[in-house]
Amino acid sequence: MDSQTTVLKPKRNLWRDIKRHRSIYLLLLIPMAYFIIFKYIPIWKGQIAFKNFMPRKGVLGSEWVGLANFQEFFHSFYFWELLRNTIMYSVGKLLISVPLSIILAVSLYECRIKVLRKTVQTLTYLPHFLSWVIMYGILLVLLAPGDGLLNDAIKAFGGKGIDFLTNVKAFPWVVLLSDAWKEMGWGAIIFIAALMGIDPTLFEAAMVEGSSALQRVRYITLPSIRPVIIMVVLLRLGTILSGGFNQLYMLYSPSVYSVGDIIDTWVFRGLQEGKFALATAVGLFKGVMGLILVIVSNRATKRISGSSLY
Amino acid sequence: MKNRQIWLIALLIVAIAGPLFAQGVAEPTAATGPVDLELWYGAAITEAGPPPDDWVAYQIIRDKLNINLKITALPSNEADQDVKISAAAAADNLPDIFMVRRETWLRLINQGLVAETDDLYAKMPTRTKVQYDDDSIAFTTINGKSYGLASPGSIAKNEGVLIRKDWLDKLGLAVPKTTEEFMNVMKAFTFNDPDGNGKNDTYGYGAFIEINNYEEGLGRRMDPWFGAFGVAGTWNLTKANFGLNVRKSAYYDAMVFIKRMIDEGVIDPNWLSYKKDDFRAAWKQGRFGIMREQNAAYAATSNYAPFDKNFPNGEWVIVDPPKGPNGHASVGVYTKAFRIYAISDKADATKRDAIARLLEWMSSDEGYFLLGWGVEGTNYTLKDGIPVAEGVPDKDYAFTGPKGQPYTQLRNMVFYNGQVELVSRYPTYVTAVSKKTMSALDVLFDMQTRAWTANIGGDTLPPPSTDLKRFYEQGVAEFLTGRRVLNKANWEAWVAEFDKLGGKAWEDSARVVAETNGLLR
Repeated sequence: MDSQTTVLKPKRNLWRDIKRHRSIYLLLLIPMAYFIIFKYIPIWKGQIAFKNFMPRKGVLGSEWVGLANFQEFFHSFYFWELLRNTIMYSVGKLLISVPLSIILAVSLYECRIKVLRKTVQTLTYLPHFLSWVIMYGILLVLLAPGDGLLNDAIKAFGGKGIDFLTNVKAFPWVVLLSDAWKEMGWGAIIFIAALMGIDPTLFEAAMVEGSSALQRVRYITLPSIRPVIIMVVLLRLGTILSGGFNQLYMLYSPSVYSVGDIIDTWVFRGLQEGKFALATAVGLFKGVMGLILVIVSNRATKRISGSSLY
Repeated sequence: MKNRQIWLIALLIVAIAGPLFAQGVAEPTAATGPVDLELWYGAAITEAGPPPDDWVAYQIIRDKLNINLKITALPSNEADQDVKISAAAAADNLPDIFMVRRETWLRLINQGLVAETDDLYAKMPTRTKVQYDDDSIAFTTINGKSYGLASPGSIAKNEGVLIRKDWLDKLGLAVPKTTEEFMNVMKAFTFNDPDGNGKNDTYGYGAFIEINNYEEGLGRRMDPWFGAFGVAGTWNLTKANFGLNVRKSAYYDAMVFIKRMIDEGVIDPNWLSYKKDDFRAAWKQGRFGIMREQNAAYAATSNYAPFDKNFPNGEWVIVDPPKGPNGHASVGVYTKAFRIYAISDKADATKRDAIARLLEWMSSDEGYFLLGWGVEGTNYTLKDGIPVAEGVPDKDYAFTGPKGQPYTQLRNMVFYNGQVELVSRYPTYVTAVSKKTMSALDVLFDMQTRAWTANIGGDTLPPPSTDLKRFYEQGVAEFLTGRRVLNKANWEAWVAEFDKLGGKAWEDSARVVAETNGLLR
């Protein structure tokens, strides 16, 4: 019997597998080429983070300076403020945008009026396609202290206008909420896709048992999409040191530098001064920190909830 | 099946290898063949496209100069220009000749990426005569060697303080002269409904933050107020009082005055949020009655048209800048502006000769008119020796028309602010709605007669470090928004912190450069 089983079990052979599924492997070549050219080859050039990079001397010819570029970043007068602002916006967006996206996705999934569902979904993901340049124009119309629509409303009710875009207390909320507005609909798509995969008989059974809509959301919907939620959160943690350059660069001004300047905007100003090695060092630092965060949080979630990214 | 796989593999190889070789392999130039030259230029009209592929200039340059010219427009935004050039520099892939801002250019010199140009002047006698005077050559000379070709840039003193005369007349006010008179007028413009629409929707002064290395802090739009206290611009370039204006006590006095403007509510509260286009849209919508604006941005046909349409009875007049308590007055600082064209260190002798030939031809009569205005009879006609848009067969193809503008994209490489250019560029015209006679040239001449502060070479002094620059800009803004309380003790503490962060060292290093280059007067 044993020997019969051995005969039936096919012998693993990688080359034979590749040959058999060659069409699939051929298709795989394109993304592999992308990752090799744009993601792996640049890693080799990442050594300029430890060099005084001179373009004419090239990557190999530039002299080694050890950790000097990292020290310049860590010793920046604004280092802790940059780090605080970056994490504040990354975590803030995570805490605001992800729950809002989930709520939107669940609401759309539960909505039984097809026209309304389609309309709301389209309207909520459209802002994703607007650039931050356009968004800034819209925000100025809404929030300008002199004649912004929101300030007009505040004044109409007897309040005092607020300098939303230049006030250090209001500015972070403008950043977080405008990001939520812009990305909420787009972020909901992945959750909607996950919701579509839930077995409808679960809902039918729950309804037969007399559960309310909220109970169904709590006991069926949310647990079913928990792996996707964890995946989204873990992936976002990997970019926690990127606070959203495009948005901040458009929205900030000198009066809100203290709460608007993030690592990437600081690096951008350095790049304008030709500090390529410094920018690379900071990029490397961000990448390593992101990797550590993903690994640690992935293990933590695996231990606590049983779900994980890998 | 097998054939299909072969095709699929071939397709994949092309798809993968294509991008790798996208830059192409430079064809070796035959000894007698045309020389390939790549030029990155600053577009004269940012909203218009590049010259078409069949542009007659390409053919002339090829036939007469033996050059295959490939041109690429740089982004209109200076920060984006820097990024594009820096990225090319990092890849050691700079074009043969390219326009570049001075700060970026200095870094490229340090990195050994731009070539010396001393030998080129003698090869282009006509161009050197009209474009490169002693000031121009000094502008690009570092340690005794010239590393670029600096053409005349924007016209000096081309901005002015403007006030709504129709508002003054309606409120029965005279043109203000002193800072206090200006304050009173600004209050009246803000609270006395100068446009008579019954709404509280106007302000005294309008501005936005427009900073460069010689107009740091709040930038040029606020300089008339700093000028009233004798501290316009980043630097004081006098022998007696050299230094950073922000470190002088008069700067604090100016800050107090501006804070008063904010507290009194006479400055458009959007000023810290405005970008340039927002500011310009705002004055055209009648939001404020006093501003500092550029001559063409105010008076050129297309720029004035929206204001003319919105306010046919509206009228701006140029006035002297406000006079401060000690008698100082200045619209702001001016320097001799240049556009630097640098040559890549990789350009060999053949290319360098070709560049000299090209630039010399640009300054010949043929090149000057062709690049400045296009083809005579198609894009312009001559009237008393001045190119004009009238009389061409198709108005769209006139040098001012939408289809004609692309042919003049390189005009900043040939113009030198001569009389022909100015008269042609700023023609006198009658506005469409109010039928006023306007001339941006007359406006320019008027602006140039007003009080200004000479700051020649101020733009060549070393820039601050990234952190110090931020500290400076953030600090002055925070004193005005109220995040920091503006009083003498706080201000002095802030200046002390500024010095500690490198402010004093910055001033000291600038002093050495200023003294070495004879910039102090």
